[in-house]
Amino acid sequence: MLFQVENLTSGYGKIDVVRDLSLHVDDGEHVGLFGPNGHGKTTLLRTISGLIETKAGKVTFQGEDITNLDARKIVARGLIHVPQGNQLFPRMSVQENLTLGAYVARTDKHKSSNFEKVFSLFPRLKERLTQRAQTLSGGERQMLSIGVGLMGMPELLILDEPSVGLAPIIKEELARAIAEIAASGVTMIVVDQDVELLLGICERLYLIEKGTVSLETADVSQVDQAEILEMYFGKVT
Amino acid sequence: MSLEAIVAIIAGGLVSGSLYALMASGLSLVWGTVRMFNFAHGALVMVGAYSAWYMSNRGGLAKALQPLGKSIIESSENSGALGGLLLPLGEWLVSMRGGFGLVLGVPFAILCCGLVGYVMYVLLVKPFVGKPGADLVVIITTIAGASFMQNGVQVIFGPRYKQLDRILTGPPLQVLETAIGLQEVLVIVLTPVALLLLHFFLKHSKLGMAIRAVAQNDDFAHLVGINVGQIYPLTFVVSSILAGLCGVMLGGLFFILPTMGAQELLFAFVVVVFGGLGSLPGTIIGAYVIGFIRESSAYIFSLYWAPVVLFATLILVLIFRPRGLMGGEES
Repeated sequence: MLFQVENLTSGYGKIDVVRDLSLHVDDGEHVGLFGPNGHGKTTLLRTISGLIETKAGKVTFQGEDITNLDARKIVARGLIHVPQGNQLFPRMSVQENLTLGAYVARTDKHKSSNFEKVFSLFPRLKERLTQRAQTLSGGERQMLSIGVGLMGMPELLILDEPSVGLAPIIKEELARAIAEIAASGVTMIVVDQDVELLLGICERLYLIEKGTVSLETADVSQVDQAEILEMYFGKVT
Repeated sequence: MSLEAIVAIIAGGLVSGSLYALMASGLSLVWGTVRMFNFAHGALVMVGAYSAWYMSNRGGLAKALQPLGKSIIESSENSGALGGLLLPLGEWLVSMRGGFGLVLGVPFAILCCGLVGYVMYVLLVKPFVGKPGADLVVIITTIAGASFMQNGVQVIFGPRYKQLDRILTGPPLQVLETAIGLQEVLVIVLTPVALLLLHFFLKHSKLGMAIRAVAQNDDFAHLVGINVGQIYPLTFVVSSILAGLCGVMLGGLFFILPTMGAQELLFAFVVVVFGGLGSLPGTIIGAYVIGFIRESSAYIFSLYWAPVVLFATLILVLIFRPRGLMGGEES
């Protein structure tokens, strides 16, 4: 097993947002998390990547305990978290953002081939190389965020709401790119509201409610969409 | 206004602008990255001037090392083979009684300022980073640190004014009938070089880029693997080195005394706010604009009115552009 979260509890101050949550990801697997807003998905990811302190529980990556490790040490191991919404270096160029994505030493030798990979996935970024991140469109910013993540050569790539707030046509383009990354063998956790997007990429889904896993689907090919919608919204009567 | 006066104002403006630019860029860098104002920045200017003086002047380290040099020569006469090795060292120390010169003095000042900046961060800033109200607490701790350094220097070096040796000696440069001292010319020429080096460091080196990354989005900086906790002290060191350079230049123009740098710090604050908080290009442009305003108002009204004109300009700028000249731009 590549990655495992056991009975994790974390939050802000005295308030626990994630409660006793467990999940796991196998090598090469693509796992989707979905669920209503404000139920702890982002907090979970921020805890995993070391931005928020773990209060209880354990996070294991590549067989080693990474609970409460410094964020940079977690990144250095190849667990890359692409955060939600426009988290970039706004007044730096596309190129500078991507260069900083390759900040950790283990990517040094592969920098130019990683640049090529990102450009072949998102040709638009190559066209906008010298443009400042803050002047890009929403879709381009999201592409850049993922590009920055790929520059870090992920062993496990975590995408937080890649499709949020995007026009349908751009969403489609992005979904294709994410599926391409998935097909290239990168293990992934994708968080999104759009279950359809997740179904196109992931083999397994977790429904996160009230800070914990409330449902787990064993294999998405076995369940149909109506069932998942039912999980999400409850039974339509 | 005569042509001579204009040349004099331009030269004076460039000199003041250079000094403010060196100082304010350090302040701006720390503000942009650590989100704190360093009130000991002026004291760092003073540390730079004193350490350059201590290394370069005959009354400094060279004088303190004379007895050691002499005793090495004496003892080397009756200690055989080892003495043969030590003798040149002793003779060299004695021969340096005129001081080690600014060739060693300037690098020494840079080293000292970097070190003091680092220690200052560890003692006065680091304990409060991330705590509520840290920015206010750090104002107090850095004021305390400045006071400590000023009085420490007074105890060590005494209250007598000192001055750095002139790097260039010779008649002043004549520009359209106006004499500009060579030391002033040096300041005007070397400051852009230093600022250009700073630009390349921030733009093209890995650590410089990390500093800008932390300034723009520290959360994301964590997620690309930058050691944010290491970037803060690094920023203080870079900023302190800039203050030290300013001190070396001030020490070559005016007298060195424990309270030097305080007046410049005040103007540097004006520059940072005027140029736009956290914007380095804004700060540098602001520094030269403030320099020119200061020199021309000193010429037209009087030196005592210069601060009045400056603050009036600042207030006007803040009314019409509350974020300063280039606030919210490139950091």
